[in-house]
Amino acid sequence: MGSKITAALLILPVLLCGHKITVFAVVEGTGIYTRTYASDGTKIKDGAVQVLDPAGRRLLSGRTDSLGEFSFAIPRRTDLKIVVEGGLGHRAETVVRADQLPDLPAAAAANKPAPSSGPAALDTVLIRRLIGDAVRDGLQPVVRRLAELERDRISFTEIIGGIGYIFGILGLAMFFARRKKCD
Amino acid sequence: MHIAEGVLNAPVLVTGAAVTACGCGIGIRKMDYRAMPRVAVITSVFFVASLVHVPVGPASAHLILNGLAGIVLGWLSFPALLMALFLQAVLFQFGGLTVLGVNTASMATPALACYLCLGKMARHRRAGIAYAAGFLAGALGVLLSALGTALALAASGEAFLPAARLVVIVHLPVMAIEGLLTGFVLLFVKKVQPDLLTNPP
Repeated sequence: MGSKITAALLILPVLLCGHKITVFAVVEGTGIYTRTYASDGTKIKDGAVQVLDPAGRRLLSGRTDSLGEFSFAIPRRTDLKIVVEGGLGHRAETVVRADQLPDLPAAAAANKPAPSSGPAALDTVLIRRLIGDAVRDGLQPVVRRLAELERDRISFTEIIGGIGYIFGILGLAMFFARRKKCD
Repeated sequence: MHIAEGVLNAPVLVTGAAVTACGCGIGIRKMDYRAMPRVAVITSVFFVASLVHVPVGPASAHLILNGLAGIVLGWLSFPALLMALFLQAVLFQFGGLTVLGVNTASMATPALACYLCLGKMARHRRAGIAYAAGFLAGALGVLLSALGTALALAASGEAFLPAARLVVIVHLPVMAIEGLLTGFVLLFVKKVQPDLLTNPP
């Protein structure tokens, strides 16, 4: 049996994967891009996506495409909880906080004073928005790459640690069981 | 086979937890210190087996090895699988703490069934018969777990037949592989460490 465990451990690095799905959400422009995958990198196709507000009301829903991706326009500037169900008991969720969302055009227009203060003010607003858009577009690949890097993997340490826990707990149990018997 | 948090409804969670609690109660009462090393070994194997995945077309399933656990541990499978699943939930985020009861029940009950049906046969003196019992236990353990998972999902609102069909189809290759593997492991253990195959308490 010892050699069986050894054999199992030897093939592990190649086969590390599991039964957990993860959803990643990134703000892009005035929308949110999400990608859902299993812990071995398999894309979750046709998963049911729901976007909820903090009160749990459904703002919108949809399904992931063949690449496990789903994009939607930001419905409201609030904490958005994104839940993906992959079927067969697989489920993942993530929250995009309100402060990560950009000012929506409508809200921005309402917040800003009307451009009655002259052409200079108008230009500043316009330039600010143009630069913001350009920076966001330029950063998109970087943000997606970051999201991919953030993907959590199971580390060898955790596996060894888990086996250590099992033997440790049962070792303790054995110690106490033995002592009780001796008493 | 690990159902995630937030999928099942409360009655299913409570039922699963109750089944697991009963099984663990009986298992722990039966456990004496001589059986503990064997529990440790099987728990570790089960803990690691879930990381070995079997590609099934677009989806992927992983080994479970609850048939093997059942044959070797009998009633002790309940505490053993509970501990392994707890660690998987905490360390790998497989399943989750609230669904621990349901997940343990759906994997340990088939393990017990394998022991009750095939335990004697797996300890047969003739290698061929022991191998056949191992194969059947491996396949049966996965099949019953798949049905149990489908049942839990069905009780929480998913339609039973499509869910069951999907879970079973995804796990067909796993059943075959686990059957072969369990048979081999039984023969191997019989040769190398026959103590492990004495009847569990």
